[in-house]
Amino acid sequence: MPVVLLSCYPAGPDYVEDLDVTYTTFDNKFDFQTRSTYAMPDRIVVDVEIDDGDTTYIYMKDVFADPILAAIDDNLQSLGWEKVDISEQPDMLVTPAGIKSTTYFYSYWYDWWYGGWYGGYWGWYYPPYYTVSSYTTGSMIVTMSDPNVDDNSPIGESQTAWVMAANGLFTGNYDLGRVTKAIDEAFDQSPYLKLN
Amino acid sequence: MHPLMKKLLSIFAISIVTYGALHAQSNFTMTYSMGFASGDLADFISQPSFRGATIEFRKMVNPNIGVGMTFGWNTFYEEISRESYTAGSSTLTGKQFRYSNNFPILLAGDYYLSPGEKFNPFVGLGIGTIYTRRNTDMNLYTVEQEAWNFALQPEVGFLYSLTDGAAIIVAGRFNQGFKAGNELDSAQSYFTLNVGFSFANN
Repeated sequence: MPVVLLSCYPAGPDYVEDLDVTYTTFDNKFDFQTRSTYAMPDRIVVDVEIDDGDTTYIYMKDVFADPILAAIDDNLQSLGWEKVDISEQPDMLVTPAGIKSTTYFYSYWYDWWYGGWYGGYWGWYYPPYYTVSSYTTGSMIVTMSDPNVDDNSPIGESQTAWVMAANGLFTGNYDLGRVTKAIDEAFDQSPYLKLN
Repeated sequence: MHPLMKKLLSIFAISIVTYGALHAQSNFTMTYSMGFASGDLADFISQPSFRGATIEFRKMVNPNIGVGMTFGWNTFYEEISRESYTAGSSTLTGKQFRYSNNFPILLAGDYYLSPGEKFNPFVGLGIGTIYTRRNTDMNLYTVEQEAWNFALQPEVGFLYSLTDGAAIIVAGRFNQGFKAGNELDSAQSYFTLNVGFSFANN
């Protein structure tokens, strides 16, 4: 009977999308309503290489980055924000980044044979065998901060006013729809960003 | 092996051993148990559970009264569609997979109204504990909360005898947990409908 019970143990997630989550948080002392312009780089950082003290940013390929950046622009502009060039002293800087992280884990399997004679020995058993598996998660992180208030900080840097982080299992399919959906959700979660 | 299975197997083994020791004038019952959540459990998972079972034995102290133990396992599950959860200035959106594994472990007594008849209704009361393990899965993480609730389990049902030693059992039970200040603070309660077989050992 326990075997029967186990076999009808409830299912869980069926699709990788079922594991996607979108998170936002904001500084509740920050007044978004007194700001109206933003600037955003036209590339997305996915990695940083530090070689002998030299820092090099690795960027996402444009073919993937462009729809993501467009989704951020669409959302911000429909909330009433105006995009300006970085040289025009924007009220806010929007910085997108993509991060991939791989977790390795191992499991083992212990098979044994009672009274079996596999291999010519009665009671012979397999040694346990180990398998190493991994999963990779991808995160999309977008922050908003005011570059003009760095004087108010002891370390001369602006505090982040808004952060979104979307996380999901990374697949080889590069389904950008999952990312743009997360960006839409993040702005839906943030009604306080609405200026109009 | 799944840790829950290990638990159930050991409970199963204990009941068999104890059952053997009791032997005279006793019966052994196995039922399929459907669960319907109430209270806090229903707020967490509204779907009924069709995954559950009990193992029970009773020693007959006289033809009308049997005392013994009841062990049960009911698994509740619900998939919550994508929703947003806000705490302070943070919001998280995602799908939730909710599980509640409930294990009643009870001392039980039944009063049989028509012993020896083909149709033998009974009423009973179990007293003991319900161990609950609640998991809320989101993304790749799970939040696990446990509770050991003091529990009462009133029941009504009947035995319908098939042969001299075997009977069909149908019983309705209310597993009433009481708040116990555990990790999972609220009392976990649910109703079950049990259908199974009871084997008498004379």
